Amino acid sequence: MDELKIKSIHFTAEKFANEITSIDAYCKFYAELQKTVASKSVTLDDFKKCLLESLSSSGMETDLRNSVFHLMRSIHNSQDVCSYKDKEPLEYLKKAQMLWEKRIHKSLNSMSADINSLSLARFRLASDRDEILEKWKELSTYEIDLTQYRPVYAPKDFLQVLLWLRNPNFRSFNFKINDGTWEFTHLSLKVKSFAELKILYGEISRGEPLIGVHHEMPSQRAPYPSLEAERIALGEKVIAFNHAPAAQEYLKKGAPLCIRARIWTQLLGSTVTPEREEYFNRLKQRVLQYDLVVDKLIIKDVQLTASNDPSYFVFEDLLYQIMLCFYRDTDVLSIFHHICATPIRGVLRGKAPTTKNSVYYPPNGIIPFHGFTMYACPLCYLYKEPVAVYCTFKAFYMRYWFRMHEVSSSEQGILALCLLFARLLQRYEPVLWMHFKTNHIQPVRVVFKWLMRGFSGYLAVEQLLLLWDVILAYDSLEVISILAVAILSFRKDSLFQVNNQQDVEGVLADLSTIRVMPLIQMSLIRETIP
Amino acid sequence: MASNGSETRKQFSLGENSLNVRGTSTSMKSRVSYCTDLEKLVLTVNFDKRGWVRVNPDDDWNIYWASVQTCRNLFSVDSGYRLHDNQCINHFPNHYELTRKDLMVKNIKRYRKDLEREGHPTAIRSKQGRYTHLDIIPITYILPADYNMFVEEFRKNPHSTWIIKPSGKSQGAGIFLINKLSKLKRWSKESKPPFHPQNGKESHVISRYIENPLLIGGKKFDLRMYVLVTIYRPLKAYLYKHGFCRFCAVRYDNNNHQDLENVFVHLTNNAIQKNGEDYNNVHSGKLNMESLKLYLETTYGKSRTDFLFFNIKWLIIHSLKAVSSVIANDRHCFECYGYDIIIDEELKPWLIEVNASPSLTFTTAHDRILKSKLIDDILSIVVPPDGIPDARWSKRPSVDAMGNFHLIVDEEYDDRGSNKKIREKYQGSRWR
Repeated sequence: MDELKIKSIHFTAEKFANEITSIDAYCKFYAELQKTVASKSVTLDDFKKCLLESLSSSGMETDLRNSVFHLMRSIHNSQDVCSYKDKEPLEYLKKAQMLWEKRIHKSLNSMSADINSLSLARFRLASDRDEILEKWKELSTYEIDLTQYRPVYAPKDFLQVLLWLRNPNFRSFNFKINDGTWEFTHLSLKVKSFAELKILYGEISRGEPLIGVHHEMPSQRAPYPSLEAERIALGEKVIAFNHAPAAQEYLKKGAPLCIRARIWTQLLGSTVTPEREEYFNRLKQRVLQYDLVVDKLIIKDVQLTASNDPSYFVFEDLLYQIMLCFYRDTDVLSIFHHICATPIRGVLRGKAPTTKNSVYYPPNGIIPFHGFTMYACPLCYLYKEPVAVYCTFKAFYMRYWFRMHEVSSSEQGILALCLLFARLLQRYEPVLWMHFKTNHIQPVRVVFKWLMRGFSGYLAVEQLLLLWDVILAYDSLEVISILAVAILSFRKDSLFQVNNQQDVEGVLADLSTIRVMPLIQMSLIRETIP
Repeated sequence: MASNGSETRKQFSLGENSLNVRGTSTSMKSRVSYCTDLEKLVLTVNFDKRGWVRVNPDDDWNIYWASVQTCRNLFSVDSGYRLHDNQCINHFPNHYELTRKDLMVKNIKRYRKDLEREGHPTAIRSKQGRYTHLDIIPITYILPADYNMFVEEFRKNPHSTWIIKPSGKSQGAGIFLINKLSKLKRWSKESKPPFHPQNGKESHVISRYIENPLLIGGKKFDLRMYVLVTIYRPLKAYLYKHGFCRFCAVRYDNNNHQDLENVFVHLTNNAIQKNGEDYNNVHSGKLNMESLKLYLETTYGKSRTDFLFFNIKWLIIHSLKAVSSVIANDRHCFECYGYDIIIDEELKPWLIEVNASPSLTFTTAHDRILKSKLIDDILSIVVPPDGIPDARWSKRPSVDAMGNFHLIVDEEYDDRGSNKKIREKYQGSRWR
């Protein structure tokens, strides 16, 4: 067994050594390494020892360690662990995803056909280009007629698709064939049990003091007047250390406001480097060069969501830049290597429809839906510069949010989150669950949009950032479902008073007073029901 | 867990409040009467909630929520009206010492000079001649009286931009920007009636324009804070927790503010912004104070943010101290001021102006809740615990009665010397 383990570590190491040569920073790292080898501090006599020493003293070792960490965290890895050949092992989900893609592509195509038969992409007219360039920092004043554009789909459309999923190998005695759209418990997917969640979120479930639970929580260590002061002091140390795994560990007890932005950057490897600034600029050039139909969709989305949000309207102009560039970013396509979804290909005009003559559309492979901008909004509170918001947004999206709009059996996928929500609710709030069931109320209809957007736009900004802390700290989205159940549980007295879908939505419409950490901790501290 | 409690507590305490009010209403109903000449929902809702009866100005009222004009008539010698002990009113007779732009400037300047003469440590000056601790308003001159001083200052910085406001008008009326002396001269010739140094009413103030305001999302904003003064000598003032930021709908460019004609870029007054075409009805360009703090603490750090809010408090206290000696300290009066403050890039707050009757109209649901709670908290501070206005009352409300207000200056407390330490710490912190 041990032998096998050593072998597998060796195998993994080899694989990473291979993969690391393909990341952006590799060339620079290699050049630095050569310089170090040639420098005076490295002698031939004791080559290995002094090379390693100078690597660690110059900080290159930390960089390398962080690169390996980010590589492991990126989804390349999870594919290995499951060692599935297929991106999606379950045939019926694969099929559902395909059908769903077909539907949204069709809807996108028909919309662009409706609107004076625009092609999906074309060169931007010179006048338009000049206008965008001039107004780049104030795109809210860039006026185009968007009345004919409508979001390709909204969370509720996607929910409908999910609710109609049927496992062909499973037949229940309880429901008639057409009555299965109430919730998800009939899907036999693996989700964590409550006991497993308690172990995963150990720090929270053990009742350790966390940032965000109580405003004036005292510190348990000597010189600090409050928990916040203690966390700030520790946070500065972690930042100075510049080690991504340390940042993740740190975040488990929450980050004070003045620490969070830097910890997230460190953890996600989204530091703004000159190369990244250059890259962001190139994306901007591409926005200026090409006119895409999705541009209008995304501008419309910002208008429909962020511009009307009392917490985010200030950042409207920033968000236009971020989103327009994001849709040009072909790096994002790499997520499709390991997920079930496939981006659409558009055939170049006047060419034969072969793979060679086709391009991904939109360039980043993602069809925008109503509320997509909300993944970026909260980050505007963390960074002043657009490029910094961009880097963290992209890293965050590519690690987590892409899972929120695909059909897959992944434990981190939206389907599993819905199922986890349903199971937890049924297990830990059985009376409430029965109340819903007998009144034909579907709690998931309210909760789904929270899950899909990771609560962005529903919670107060500060609370939302605390929630996203937990996602990053435990590298897992399951906390979203836990919170959803906790909110229902917290408001159950009011929920018992109402007996139809509309009123339930009313009770749950305003989450601005919800405090995230106390609710999460309270639900995880609870004893397991066997 | 504690804050879960806080949500419940909030609901609970709301319930409690209304209980209290109901409790007083049954016994006092016949006795407390109010009068107002402002048809504002947030006012009448709060009065009705307390079970107060509305009466005419000529009847015997206990509390009068009056416009500035009505108040002036009431206090004028001609009216001969004398307030009895159980009456209170929402303005001080000569509040304009603080709320008229020219008088505020004059009083602050005088206050600083007085302190300097006394050799008071807070009034020390830097090498450039600026007050180190009391540099709370932008350089300002009163026109036409200080015209020559202005020209002298302008010549020192010929490329500077200045903003001219009529002393007595509000809501952004008559405001414009200049960056050339010639423009000012042309305006003074054209304006009718022309300058009459004797005629105080036509005076204007000209202030150095804050050219490096703090921008969020590329947009300029100002802060609106609410300050309640219940008595001037000894000074007792409260600051409201929930102020807000008012944003310009149009982007502000720090490097190029040549576009002096576009008032939407420069002025954050809601009255002006409402006419802009980008005006949004959902949030009406208002961001709450919590969001501002969140943004600042995240991007600028905790200590700088704390220091900014300390300085805002400092600025408010000294603007009040500057007028405390000249304001008629009538015990029947209380007043809630709307402070307009601009923060610059260095996170230094500047006092722009003080409004005697901050707008009580609401533009959004959030706005309505905020303003309605504001009035509720004001009433709970100014009315004694027994629910009947009383000028003889000590004006020492309990902490619970303060709601979202907190006491920022209490000279009565300081003078009793029981808390000398706090005062020393307070002034000491300016001394680092």
